[in-house]
Amino acid sequence: MQFDLDEDRALLKSSTRELLEKESALPDARAVMEETAEGYSKGLYAQLGELGYPGLLLSEEDGGMGPLAFVAVLHEMGRMAFPGPFLDLVIAARALAACEGDLAATWKARAAAGEALVVLACSENPADADPAAPAVRFADGKVIGTKTFVPSGAFADALLVETDAGLVLVERPGAGWNAKALDTIDHAQRFAEITFDDAGELLADRNAAGAILADARRCGALGAAATMLGLMERAMEMGVEYTMERQAFGAPLASFQALQHRAADMLLRTESTRSAVYRAGWALETEQANADYLISVAKAYAGPAGRSVCGESIQFHGGVGFTWEYDPHVYLKRMKTLELFHGSTRYHTNAAHDGG
Amino acid sequence: MDLQFTSEQEAFRQEVREWIRANLERPFSEEVRDPAHDADSLVEVRRRWQKRLNSAGYLAMGWAPEWGGRGASEVEEAILLEELARADAPQVPNFLGISLLGPALIHHGSEAQRQRFIPKMLDCEEIWCQGFSEPSSGSDLASLRTRAEADGDDFRITGQKVWTTFGPWSNWIFVLARTDPDDRYGGISFFLMPLDQDGVEVRELRQITGEAEFGEVFFDGALAKRENIVGDIGEGWKVAMTLLGYERGGDTLSNPAEYDGYLDGLKAGVAEAGIGDRADVREKIGRLVVENEVLRANGLRTLANLAAGNAPGPESSFGKLGWSEYAQRLTDASHDLLGPQAQLTARTPGARADVDWAYQYLWSRAGTIYSGSSEIQRNIIAKRVLRMPTAR
Repeated sequence: MQFDLDEDRALLKSSTRELLEKESALPDARAVMEETAEGYSKGLYAQLGELGYPGLLLSEEDGGMGPLAFVAVLHEMGRMAFPGPFLDLVIAARALAACEGDLAATWKARAAAGEALVVLACSENPADADPAAPAVRFADGKVIGTKTFVPSGAFADALLVETDAGLVLVERPGAGWNAKALDTIDHAQRFAEITFDDAGELLADRNAAGAILADARRCGALGAAATMLGLMERAMEMGVEYTMERQAFGAPLASFQALQHRAADMLLRTESTRSAVYRAGWALETEQANADYLISVAKAYAGPAGRSVCGESIQFHGGVGFTWEYDPHVYLKRMKTLELFHGSTRYHTNAAHDGG
Repeated sequence: MDLQFTSEQEAFRQEVREWIRANLERPFSEEVRDPAHDADSLVEVRRRWQKRLNSAGYLAMGWAPEWGGRGASEVEEAILLEELARADAPQVPNFLGISLLGPALIHHGSEAQRQRFIPKMLDCEEIWCQGFSEPSSGSDLASLRTRAEADGDDFRITGQKVWTTFGPWSNWIFVLARTDPDDRYGGISFFLMPLDQDGVEVRELRQITGEAEFGEVFFDGALAKRENIVGDIGEGWKVAMTLLGYERGGDTLSNPAEYDGYLDGLKAGVAEAGIGDRADVREKIGRLVVENEVLRANGLRTLANLAAGNAPGPESSFGKLGWSEYAQRLTDASHDLLGPQAQLTARTPGARADVDWAYQYLWSRAGTIYSGSSEIQRNIIAKRVLRMPTAR
């Protein structure tokens, strides 16, 4: 037995950290989030594409590295509150790889190389992003209906739309989408509501789409949980570091037991999330029979744990924790948003109920 | 990364399962519900079980063969304890002797002490209890005041110990007593003493569960022989601290296995009550399933680190904090979900047969207090793992 990553994956993890620290340090990332229309750096995504990152979950022949490598990368991205639809892109590339036909293969290659942004469009209910039967129709070569909370939907080059007939690829029309920007609390993501009356190409019929979407949700939940691990880990560090520096009543805040006990709980939640997330990644990697269950456990645990840790990080900072200038709020916002997507805490808690 | 047990370890699990099937007469919860039993006869059940484990080589498995063990790895020990928990096997009466005193004797004891005490500890001829806590010294153990005064070569012990688990059934006690009143740590020595002697009185201490598994031990000039000091005079604190460090991870999988059984009981209970499909009920139980699985993930991580020869990670520092607080949430939820039925005591007609929720609810309050309270655990994590300064 061995909990640590093997050498290749550990190397991928540390080189990802180096890359992000260089190219997407938090002040830079925040500038991108807050000051660009897309909310992420297209140049950096292109660079990640050249390095093969969006293809992480493709087959080995296609440059994929498997679920544990994927977990390690998303973990690092979480630490840096890395903005944009990276997780959605990885999932879409994998879904495209599972579809038949040349069109799917072409878009898969473009997505995996970072040349095109493709994301899945599934949600229809703004009050609940969990899986539900789609009302969006596909008939006579056209997609009709509305999808909501499409990640980076307004900027995507193509969308994989879940319809009543299956998965349909819709390329961004020359005139652009009929997209409504949804401004949310999370600066690192730009959601859109998209009303389709567009030509599309069926890539997977209902049967095939069922399996592809189940796989996408499984990987999405794992990637989200890994991101949440990184977010809470860094939020905890920031909170504890601040209490070591900040003086009150002639002593560092960190010397007060009221804060120490809460910091201990932050550590417990963060480290427990680490145990659960890497175990789930290992289970998927090695095709354990209970992999789905362990992924649900990880995602269901990461939500409340991360929300609590990121909230405590703000509290540890006191008044400055509530300012726009300081960083803890960026982590809380990302965290709370991720808790609602890729299967909410409620969804995965319910899924875990019956055990592995 | 690899969380898979080896084929040898899986084979060991099979061997243990088969042995338990052949040797465990019935789950301990059934023994408890049997009206023919009283507290003493239940201890006899446990004593017999320890003897059986010992003769099969399943007791103190991690110890070297010369001391009755197998030199087994933590992983094998964890598998054994997981299977015992899953089968609801009785806890052995000498668990304090075996988990704490035995390793202390092996590391710090004299050859004569090992020869004299270890075999009888293993076959349950002698049952040991622990004399550490005092009425005024709980979490702040080093403030203990029980005195050891020289009497020729030997010592006379005077003072009071409390929370002495299994005290009423024990023959021997390992005691921390003060050989120097002025030296906080260096003035403490570690004595082994028979309880059946003048100057020792053991009183039952009734717990909130109604049982008296704990005791209080009063010493009034009781004799502690020089040859029965473990380590040297003044090394008691050192011995005690290494002994508390022996809790290494053998129990990492047994707690989640025990809670699996409770969760099954909870699901069966709400199903029979016709509320098992309600969304709020599923969410509440689902949350408990998730948290228990996370306890297991932490346990596997600790074991994997031990097996790979790595230093235990931060997760090993909050094992006890995690399960003890979880047990309170789980048993609390059982009363909310099963209603007043969950409060029926074990032998009351109508009480659920699968889990004794009334008892477990109350017993769960102990876990966050004994062996370092949750507050002490959090102090330790803040200081040793997060490197926060000494608390004010």
